[in-house]
Amino acid sequence: MQKTDILGKLQGIVGDRNVSTSSAELYCYSCDASQIRGMPDYVIRPENTEQVSKVVKVAYDHEIPVTARGAATGLAGGAVPVEGGIVLDMSSMDKIEELDLDNLQVVVESGVVQAKLNAVLEPYGFFFPPDPGSSAMCTIGGLIGNNGSGMRSVKYGTTRSYVLGLEVVMADGTIINTGSKVMKSVSGYSLTDLYVGSEGTLGVITKAILKVIALPKERSVLLASFETPELAGQAVVKTLASGIVPSACEILDRNIIEAINTYDPSIGIPEAGAILLFEVDGTENAVIEGIGMVSEVCRSLATSVKTASDKAERDEIWAARKMVGAAISRLDPMRTRVYVGEDVGVPIKQIPAMLHKVREISKEFDLPIMTYGHIGDGNLHTGMCIDVMEDGDWEKLNKAADKIHHEALGLEGTVTAEHGVGGARADFMALEVGNALDLMVAIKKALDPKGIMNPGKMGL
Amino acid sequence: MTEDMRSILKCVRCGTCRSVCPVFDVLGWESTGARGRMMVAHGVSQGLEVDKDVLDSLNTCTTCGMCKEMCPSGAAPTKVVENTRHQLVLQGKMTDAQKELRGNAIETGNPLGESAERMAWLGDSRKDVKDKADYVYFSGCLGSYRYPDLAKRTFDILKKFGVTVLKDEVCCGSPLLRTGSDPSELMEKNLDQIKEIGAHTIITGCAGCFSTLKNDYPEKLNVMHVSQFLAERLDEMDLKKLDLKVAYHDPCHLGRCNGVFDEPRQLITAVCELDEMENIREKSKCCGAGGGVLKGYPELALELSKKRAEDIPEGVDYLVTVCPLCRTNLQRGSGDIKVIDVLDLLEMAMV
Repeated sequence: MQKTDILGKLQGIVGDRNVSTSSAELYCYSCDASQIRGMPDYVIRPENTEQVSKVVKVAYDHEIPVTARGAATGLAGGAVPVEGGIVLDMSSMDKIEELDLDNLQVVVESGVVQAKLNAVLEPYGFFFPPDPGSSAMCTIGGLIGNNGSGMRSVKYGTTRSYVLGLEVVMADGTIINTGSKVMKSVSGYSLTDLYVGSEGTLGVITKAILKVIALPKERSVLLASFETPELAGQAVVKTLASGIVPSACEILDRNIIEAINTYDPSIGIPEAGAILLFEVDGTENAVIEGIGMVSEVCRSLATSVKTASDKAERDEIWAARKMVGAAISRLDPMRTRVYVGEDVGVPIKQIPAMLHKVREISKEFDLPIMTYGHIGDGNLHTGMCIDVMEDGDWEKLNKAADKIHHEALGLEGTVTAEHGVGGARADFMALEVGNALDLMVAIKKALDPKGIMNPGKMGL
Repeated sequence: MTEDMRSILKCVRCGTCRSVCPVFDVLGWESTGARGRMMVAHGVSQGLEVDKDVLDSLNTCTTCGMCKEMCPSGAAPTKVVENTRHQLVLQGKMTDAQKELRGNAIETGNPLGESAERMAWLGDSRKDVKDKADYVYFSGCLGSYRYPDLAKRTFDILKKFGVTVLKDEVCCGSPLLRTGSDPSELMEKNLDQIKEIGAHTIITGCAGCFSTLKNDYPEKLNVMHVSQFLAERLDEMDLKKLDLKVAYHDPCHLGRCNGVFDEPRQLITAVCELDEMENIREKSKCCGAGGGVLKGYPELALELSKKRAEDIPEGVDYLVTVCPLCRTNLQRGSGDIKVIDVLDLLEMAMV
């Protein structure tokens, strides 16, 4: 069938105004925040599940790849159409359909932005906890597709913990519903869990029933400075073993501290070899006690320990932390942050070892590597900045990233703790998951026999 | 071009601007947000064919600067958009609206295409125009042709402080600069007159004129907004309290882009109650008119104005602003709420 005939069919389903084949638009949809590229043939902005179903049916009949996309804030190329075809920009499907707070849940379309959902929930005293740095713009669909998480996952877990059910358009256009409105159910395989983190390779998520929880009454932030990142790593291990579960536990290394202070000098984070940011939330007494315990544990290893004096200071520290990923680019006008090798995770007690490895790699390649991340769950983000107009810098960068991945795996870690595999880490899948990859391939084949759902991703 | 490319490559495509770009909020396609425009600019430099969609992507930017304000990696999409528009104009690639603005400004000295005498608004105050003065009031195209009464009222207040005007004022150049054309002829003409008068300070009541005179002229000028000039002289003005409650809109090119937030508020609170809008100061949302959008995409400008109007608190008597372009477009979207200039408010309070 001719491309123009396909276009006609697609226009018939979603209307002319919701399809684009303009070269400018296709170019804008050819990437996310990673280095993966792929030019789509059509960009579609569906308005409802029926339209998604019909579009996918056309794609199925004509074997056209379909790549679902939320806000394309991804760092692994998950939303990039590496084999062309249709990009489904889900961001117009942004209705919050139901606030069922007596049942501790909401029903949302997958294009709802995380921060907008939380803005709606806040007056009722509820929140949806997964909080990536991209919360202001990322969509619920993207979060589910990648099983995203953020700073508070050390206490609240990842997106997976909050998905009760899904509406999914399967590869042939069939609409299915997984899970239920019940807080727990063991009826059959957990298809919901299968779809969480499937990166659009098994179908398109159109709606979700999400669990929400009551906002904690109080929060407090403690900032501990250390001579070296390794010492900070030891403090984390000790804290987590002390019986307190912080609601966030973040590490910032020397360069990151400089980046934050450059981005907003008014924050004035003290200089140190590394800083740990702990947040404790809960009732007033629990917070006082929790912060006291963290402080006591850190004191033996830290050079200084300080508690944020008020809510304003606390909010400012977190706002700055969320910006850090990109703010690294501010350190040097000639350099830009490139997201590769940025999301390894290791078992908690290996954190000091991993931090040490990263410093060695930095020396070996003569490449400044900044470390920050959700150290409380073993997730380290490494930030590398290069002159993107220098080919030599790219080579160095990619070699360092490869080495970081291998070292993490050597410590029984993972190449991606929360950002996803996408196209960027597909080559590491066999190495990390072994022959379990065969099972994943079999599942993929069963649910997507023609291989049209986000092809070229996850090493499948 | 290398410098441009460096600026484009500063963007790490994190997408933060998706959450703040007012145009993206209305249109929703990736090419209509700051990140998309950075990509389009990059594409153009790599040989992406310049068609209507490329031009629409670049020209639907109001240059409000919210993306730059919020960008964590320090990219400046507004500058990239303006530079890319300029590159394309040099190659003859532009929209009809861009052509018209440029044609008008070159032919008539104003982008509106008005051929009437620009300084006619002076009326009986013409006698107060002096050959030499320390201060010059720059009335601007919209002041001269669309709000002549306001221009006269402003001058009548300012002249008491020894302020004069340019006898042959032309457009400051802002509309050309924002839409990619060369404003240097207009700038030279104004600059020559400023020198002849011997003025050390230019005073303007328009955010666009303010930003352009202050930042883009070939010679460094001391520029003040009328509100700044008058805020310094509040004691010398006889003003009574008004039983009014008003809201204030920060024009992007005065507030966020040039840091003037307090003086307009000082004037307002000197005469009546100020009830702030949602999204103010650095976070002020664009009125929707700037960067050639009102001229080129009036329907989009109307949608943007309506969105901004949602930020007006209930129960205010007026929405006050200090830029005639913001005022014009905000009035389109504000329904029954009258939009006025801060000078209109002061006029009501004059004893």
